[in-house]
Amino acid sequence: MSTERPRRAVVTGIGVIAPNGLRADAYWKSVREGLGVLDRITREGCEDLPLKVAGEVRGFDPSDLIEEPFLVQTDRFSHYAMAAAQLALDDAGLVHDGPEEPFSIGVVTAAGSGGGEFGQRELQKLWGQGSKFVGPYQSIAWFYAASTGQISIRSGLKGPCGVVASDEAGGLDAIAHAARGVRRGTGAVLVGAAEAPLAPYSMVCQLGYPELSTVEDPDRAYRPFTSAACGFVPAEGGAMLVVEEESRARDRGAAVRAVVAGHGATFTGASRWEESREGLARAIRVALDEAGCAPEEVDVVFADALGVPEADRAEALAIADALGAHATRVAVTAPKAGIGRAYCGAPVLDTAAAVFAMEHGVVPPTPNVFDICHDLDLVMSRARPAELRTALVLSRGLMGSNAALVVRRGDESAR
Amino acid sequence: MITTALTFDELSTLMKQAAGVTVDARELEKAPDAPFTTLGLDSLGLLGIVGELENRYGVALPTDAERCKTPGEFVDLVNHTLRTGV
Repeated sequence: MSTERPRRAVVTGIGVIAPNGLRADAYWKSVREGLGVLDRITREGCEDLPLKVAGEVRGFDPSDLIEEPFLVQTDRFSHYAMAAAQLALDDAGLVHDGPEEPFSIGVVTAAGSGGGEFGQRELQKLWGQGSKFVGPYQSIAWFYAASTGQISIRSGLKGPCGVVASDEAGGLDAIAHAARGVRRGTGAVLVGAAEAPLAPYSMVCQLGYPELSTVEDPDRAYRPFTSAACGFVPAEGGAMLVVEEESRARDRGAAVRAVVAGHGATFTGASRWEESREGLARAIRVALDEAGCAPEEVDVVFADALGVPEADRAEALAIADALGAHATRVAVTAPKAGIGRAYCGAPVLDTAAAVFAMEHGVVPPTPNVFDICHDLDLVMSRARPAELRTALVLSRGLMGSNAALVVRRGDESAR
Repeated sequence: MITTALTFDELSTLMKQAAGVTVDARELEKAPDAPFTTLGLDSLGLLGIVGELENRYGVALPTDAERCKTPGEFVDLVNHTLRTGV
């Protein structure tokens, strides 16, 4: 039976809760237009902190999609994740009133910090009023695994579940984990990440990052690859994808939106940006190799784009190291310059944008960036029409993880 | 001495507040033996209600309180404790 085609992991659904859109199509429309939505932080209790600008999710009412008991039990980061998960399931047409095969569908999320807002509220009760005033849901709401668990329970998904805690790049590692699960026999995995770093305690935790931008002008706070690069701004929200076995998707008539083709991950140490060059280049090579993809086949790169001069330089050099002469020709973009970095959610949002970009044949621009000081063909100002068959998504974490993901257009058959 | 007693109205309010579960008090009154689980209240939710009542009345409820399976059983146990102190 060696003639059987290998199992492939494909994307059949996308759900997004982001500062620039509360559905995947709204997010893509904003990304395609290159709109910047960075703004002053308005969250209660955050007014007097030195971090002033971020990508806030606004106008989001979680009760539109999620039942009250699940909201009471969880932090905002899980509200975003559960909503994005429901939107992804709807988009994939996979589950409505309970899946037929609950054991064939798993859940994997990546998380960078867990539920800081919920945790702060309960810890204030602990030290303000006493231990008897701490609610029992503190035990499940604030830790990394909360979103995976609640999505699994809420949707009745009983397949292999997991949580990836590998820093910001964990968003890509989670997608790779899901794809491996699908190749090994799981029918589908609901996978992604959403974060909620805009709450007082969570913000104070971030103030120690030397890479954080505290510039107060939203249009100037996050400008990767420019000579004015001054760090990054955080964002909240994220995305969830349905990654499904290809023949299963085709059998039920679902649209195959993209193929998860290859992934590589490395670690080069916290804030050692110069060293991230080698780590990121290695991750790209591993991802291309797994995808059976030559460097010349990459049509667009979604850059990590940290916005720190040393890190931007390392990324530009890593792309050159891994793609060779093609590096100066390939279109590079960083939509997150307009919405901020949603930590683990950021590379999943980029992956969602990559799928849309391939579907629509257009490379979205990099907001707020007009003149760069690196040898890259960064798409700026307006979207660029292009035939896109293969996208490379890059991500690095502040703690030193590097990852690369290769996604191919859905209608491409196996090579 | 404590003269208050836990009513189904209050239990309904607590279920909403502590666990996000919406159940009409009349429904609880009419079917006090309907299990909490079928009403959508899990064990952590009941634990939260127990904690809230202990803080409100300044008494410790017996550990059996958080193991109650139905609203009727729970209201009886809480009111017995409030009356007798044990």
